[in-house]
Amino acid sequence: MTASSTPEIQLDQISMRYQTNSTEVLALQDVTVDIKKGEFVSLLGPSGCGKTTLLRIMADLIQPTNGEIKVAGESARAARLAQKYGIVFQSPVLYDWRRVKQNINLPLEMMGIKKAEREERVDYLLELVGLQDFKNKYPWQLSGGMQQRVAIARALAMEPEILLMDEPFSALDEFTREHLNEELLSIWSKVGSTVVFVTHSIPESIFLSDRVFVLSPHPGRLSAVVDIPLPRPRTPDMRHSPAFYQLISDIRDCFEGV
Amino acid sequence: MEEKSVDDVYSWSEEGVVKVNKQDDPSPAPVKKRVKSRMKLQQIGLPLAAGIVMLLLWEWQVLHQIFGLQTYQLPIPSTIVEALVENAPLLLSYTGYTMTEAVLGMLIGSSLGFVVALMATAWPRWGRGGLLVIASLNAVPIVALAPIMNLWFGSGIGSRIAIVTVITLAAMAINAHKGMKMVDPLALDLMHAYAAKKTEVFRYLRIMNSLPYVFTALKINTTASMIGAIVGEFFFSSKGLGYLLSNSIKVAKMPLGWSCIVVAAIAGVVFYLLVEWLERRMLKWHVSHRA
Amino acid sequence: MVSFRSRWLPSLVWIVGLLLLWQASSWVLLHVVEASMAQSKIPYIHELIRTFITYGGTLFTEGSATFSNAALGFLLGAILGAVLAVLMSLSKWMEQLTFPYAVASQMIPILGLAPIVYGIMRDEQIARVLIAGYITFFPVALNMLRGLRSVDLSAVELMYSYAAKPWMVYWKLRLPASLPGLFSGLKIAAPLAVTGAILVELMGAQNGIGVIMLRNLYYGPSHNYMFWSTVIVGALLGLLSYLIISLIERMVAPWQPEFRPSGGDK
Repeated sequence: MTASSTPEIQLDQISMRYQTNSTEVLALQDVTVDIKKGEFVSLLGPSGCGKTTLLRIMADLIQPTNGEIKVAGESARAARLAQKYGIVFQSPVLYDWRRVKQNINLPLEMMGIKKAEREERVDYLLELVGLQDFKNKYPWQLSGGMQQRVAIARALAMEPEILLMDEPFSALDEFTREHLNEELLSIWSKVGSTVVFVTHSIPESIFLSDRVFVLSPHPGRLSAVVDIPLPRPRTPDMRHSPAFYQLISDIRDCFEGV
Repeated sequence: MEEKSVDDVYSWSEEGVVKVNKQDDPSPAPVKKRVKSRMKLQQIGLPLAAGIVMLLLWEWQVLHQIFGLQTYQLPIPSTIVEALVENAPLLLSYTGYTMTEAVLGMLIGSSLGFVVALMATAWPRWGRGGLLVIASLNAVPIVALAPIMNLWFGSGIGSRIAIVTVITLAAMAINAHKGMKMVDPLALDLMHAYAAKKTEVFRYLRIMNSLPYVFTALKINTTASMIGAIVGEFFFSSKGLGYLLSNSIKVAKMPLGWSCIVVAAIAGVVFYLLVEWLERRMLKWHVSHRA
Repeated sequence: MVSFRSRWLPSLVWIVGLLLLWQASSWVLLHVVEASMAQSKIPYIHELIRTFITYGGTLFTEGSATFSNAALGFLLGAILGAVLAVLMSLSKWMEQLTFPYAVASQMIPILGLAPIVYGIMRDEQIARVLIAGYITFFPVALNMLRGLRSVDLSAVELMYSYAAKPWMVYWKLRLPASLPGLFSGLKIAAPLAVTGAILVELMGAQNGIGVIMLRNLYYGPSHNYMFWSTVIVGALLGLLSYLIISLIERMVAPWQPEFRPSGGDK
C-alpha cells in the first residue's frame, strides 16, 4: 500500500443539517475521517445513515453545515475545479445521444484535451473496462452492468487521484455485482487511485476495501472503522474464507450495538 | 471568474435539491415561506402587468406608430370592446352555434377514434397498418377538408361537424391505442393468470390504462375542434363565429372581427378548462394527479 | 424482408383496399344511385390520375409556392420558438412573463387569426409567412422547454463535478436532451404551418395551391377533378412536411427510445 503521511481526504467534524418543511434533520453529526492516499475505503450503513451525503460533500456537490474538509490537500471546491476526482453515481447517467466511446470522451472534451490524445485515452479506458467491442454502441444497447462499466471508464478518463463511487452496483443483480467487484479491483490495481465506495452491502464492502467506515443513522455518525486484513490481490474464493465470515459478523455487531 | 460561473450552474438545478442551506442562513424556514408567497405574487403579477402594459400601448396607438399601422387595420381595444357589447346577442348565439359544431364533432370523432383504437389493439397485425393510414389524416390540412365536407354534407351544420369529426378522430385513435398497448407486462401476466378472456383484459386493464392518454387526446381535440369549426365556417357558412369573423374582415368591420376572436378565445379556454376539470375528477388515481 | 411484410404490408393492403372502396363507391354513386354531382362528391381515381398527369406542372408550381412560404414561416417560427425556450429555461423572469401566454395560446383557435393577419398585411407573401411562423412558434417553444427541463439531476451533477461553465452545460447536456421535445413540437407545427399558408390563400391571394383550389371549386362540376387534385396536393403537402421533419429527426437524434428496435410484434 502506498500510504503517505498526509491523508488524501480529510474530514474534520463534519455536520450536515437539512431543513424540511417544518423539522430539521441532522443527516450527519461530527464525522471525522482520514483517508490515506491510494487506499480503498467503503462507507457502509443502512439507508438514512448519511453515507451518500458524506460522499457528496467530498465531491463538493453539497456543502456541509459545519466542519472542515480537505481533498488532495485543497478545499473540496478547489479539488473539484482541478478535477482531482472522478465520480460514479448509482445510475450510470450516460447520455442517450452519445455512443459508448463518446460518453467516455465527454470529460476529456470538456477539459479541452487534444483530439489525438483523447482517442488514445478512450481506447485505453475501453480496454481497461473490457468494452472495446462495444465502443460504437448506444447506452441502451448495453446491459446494466456494462453501462456502469462505461460510467467507471468515464470517471477515470481524467486520470483522477480519487475515485468517488456512490452505490454504483446496487441496481445490479448479485452475480453481476460480484463480477464487477472483482473487475473494479483489477482496474484499481492498474490505476492506483484512492477510492471511496458507498455501499449498503456488508460483503461487498469487505471484499473491496482496506478499511470500512461504518455509519449509523439518526443522526448519521461514524460508529466504527473496521480494518480489513485480507491480503491483496483479492480472489473470489476469499468470500468463502472463515476470516471473511468473521469480518461479516464483526461488522454486523457494530450495527447491533447501536 | 470560474467561481462565479459554477455558482450559476447551481442556481439552475432544482431548487433545494442540490443546494442545501449554507451556514449563513439563520432561519431558513420562514424566509422560504416568504419567498414562496412573493414568488406566487410574481407568478401572477408579472404576466398580468405585462399584458396590461401591452393593452395600454395598443390602446394609445403606440403599437400603431411602431409598426406603421392605421386603426382601420388594427382596431384599438376600446373599439373592440364597444363592438363586443353592441353585438353581444349576435355573438352569443353564434358562439352557441360554433360550440355545438365543435362539441358534437369532437364527441363523435373521439368516440370513433376510441373504437378504432380498440379494434387496432384487438387485432394488432392489421390494426397497426390501419392506424398508420389514419395517422396520416392528422397531417391533412383542415382547409382541404372543408370544401370536401361541404360537397358531401351541404353548407349546414353537418359539414362542420364532419370536419371536426375527422380531425379529432386521428388524435384520439393514436393516443388511445398507445395507452392500450403500453400496459405493464406484469399486469398482463396477472390477467393471464386469472384466465381472463380478451374482452376481460380490455375491460379490467387496457381501457383503464388508456384513460390518461384518452384525456391527453381530448385536450388536444378541444383546441383542434374549435379550429376546425371556425375554419370550416370561414368559407361556406352563413352562421357562426368563423363566418362572422371572415365576413367582418371582408367588409372592413375590423373591431367586430376582433371581437369574434376574443369570444372564440374565451370559449376555447373555457372548453379546455372544462375538459381538464373532468380529467382531474376522473383520474384521481393517476400519478400525475397525486398531490 | 420479414420486417417489410409485418410492418408495411398491412398499411399497403389498407391503402389499396380503401382506394378500391373509393372507386366502387364512385361507380355506385354515379350509375346506381345516380346522385347529382356524383363525380364532384366521389370522383373516379383514374380520372384524378389523368388530371394529375395533365396539369402536373401547374399543381407543382402552385404547390411549391405554398410550400416554400409555409416553410419559410415555419423556419422563422421554429427558430424564434427555440430561442424563447432557451431564454425561458435561463431566466425565471422570462418564463413567468411568457409561459402563461404560451399556454393560453395553445387553448385558443389560433388559425382564427389568419383572416385578421391578412387584413392587416394585405400582402399574401408576408401574411402566409407570418401565419405559418406564428402557428409554429408556441408548440415549438413549449415542447422544447419541456425537453430542456427533462434533464435529470444526476446528469447536471455530473456536469457540476466537471466544473462546467453554464454554456457548456447547455451545449453538452441541455440542448441535446431537448431535441426530442423540439422535434415533437416541430412535428405538431409542420402540417399546421401548411394549413395556415393555404388558409391565407383561400382568403384571396394571387397564387398558391389554395387559390386554384378555390377557383376550381367555383367553376363548378366541370372542374371537379382539378379541384380534387388540389385538395390531394394540399393533403400531400401536409404529409410531406411531417415526413421531412421525421426524416431530419432520424438523422439528428437517432438515439431516441422510439427508434430502438422493439422485441417484435406479438
